[in-house]
Amino acid sequence: MKIIPQIETPAGENYIDFEENLSKLIEGIKYKGKKFGLNGAGAGDAIGSYSVVIEQNFGINALLLCNDLKNRHNNNLNIIYAFNMRDKNRVAILSDLITFEQLGLKNIIISEGLHPLKTVFYAAKPVYDIDVLGLSSIIKTGFPLLKDNDYVNNFSLFNLGVVVGISTPADFLKIKKLSKIGVDRFIINYFGDNLDINIINYIKAEKKPVFIFINESNVKSTLEEFIKKNLELNVDGIIIKILNEKSNIFTQD
Amino acid sequence: MFLTEKKDAKEIDEALNKYKRIGIVGCASCASVCLTGGSKEVKEMEKHLVNIGKEVPFTISIDEPCDKRVLKEDIRFVEDELADTEAILVLSCGTGVQTIGEYTDKKVVTGVDSRYIAQTEHIGEYNALCGGCDECRLNFTGGVCTVTLCPKGLLNGPCEGHNGINCEVAEESKCVFMKSYENMSKFFEEENLSRIFSPRDYSRTIKRKI
Repeated sequence: MKIIPQIETPAGENYIDFEENLSKLIEGIKYKGKKFGLNGAGAGDAIGSYSVVIEQNFGINALLLCNDLKNRHNNNLNIIYAFNMRDKNRVAILSDLITFEQLGLKNIIISEGLHPLKTVFYAAKPVYDIDVLGLSSIIKTGFPLLKDNDYVNNFSLFNLGVVVGISTPADFLKIKKLSKIGVDRFIINYFGDNLDINIINYIKAEKKPVFIFINESNVKSTLEEFIKKNLELNVDGIIIKILNEKSNIFTQD
Repeated sequence: MFLTEKKDAKEIDEALNKYKRIGIVGCASCASVCLTGGSKEVKEMEKHLVNIGKEVPFTISIDEPCDKRVLKEDIRFVEDELADTEAILVLSCGTGVQTIGEYTDKKVVTGVDSRYIAQTEHIGEYNALCGGCDECRLNFTGGVCTVTLCPKGLLNGPCEGHNGINCEVAEESKCVFMKSYENMSKFFEEENLSRIFSPRDYSRTIKRKI
């Protein structure tokens, strides 16, 4: 069982301070991993020993932070870049993917993204130019995006994770399509009950790792209790979105 | 029907501020059904304009002000008054407003907000089912338009944000992809169930005559 923090890039904070605090957080996760007797996170897996998910929102550019973390941690940290379909059209996404690949990074997580109405940018125009199934096709099967252009991407080597719901037959159908395309891992948006275990079993049978994704504010117990409660789901890890790299579920005893 | 909503009177008054003689054109079709531009609303608007010191040389309800053929025929009834009018307040959707502006070459002001193509449940209760997106996929989606009914306009859903029952955004509504799935299953549409839509081709949406 891996426990992985996910954090948005900062908006109002000094970038250097943020990076240093993030490094402290990662040390904190190593400590917690040992304390809980977890394998902290599963060496040998593509996501690796210790991982952090850097989510692009309205703060500084997440690709910049991914690159800095990669250089600072000497490849001893798996850096996962998370972005959504809400904020960028296919041109901007393609640019991000090309940059990501050129930086030598490989792990990405994509989601449709919370609708602006549910965010502080409630009046923003959402993009949703392409959806995660469309983008997964582009990444994994090389579906062409450009007209009359011979550009061929090298994205098929990316470790592609997709955030999904797993409550309904419609979710199951989407997951089957994503799996067929070649998506490497699934991240379940966690709402508590309402999970269809059959879908998790299907993903496991397809030999793809499954993670739970949850916001820190929705963890209504201690981290230890939350992990224990979800052991029976037989997932490979939990990605917890934290709001503050200095004070969060990982840094509190 | 194309749904419209009444604008705030203050915005209309400001738009008409520098004009004294104002004609009013209503729409006897869609705007009449949704009670924003029928003959009753035209009368109310006339009364309002007179109250704020304007002159109203004519009022008229046109069957379909968005149809140039109908407009040409009907507008003849107020031809003389129109010549002596500084601005026209139009109580119809944006298509009607622009058609009247183009045809009369007068200053036009809209009195309503244009919303969407609507299904009428009752007067005052409407549903948006079609977004007029240029490429209808209803044959492949169980007869429900996910582009219009999903607040994210997804082709391949559902998104990760629903809670197993309701939509992340329209919390009182069921996720449209569940409805789509149920319909396709009901009619044994295996091919459609396994379909993955390619990203939308937006080049189709700008082929408009300007």
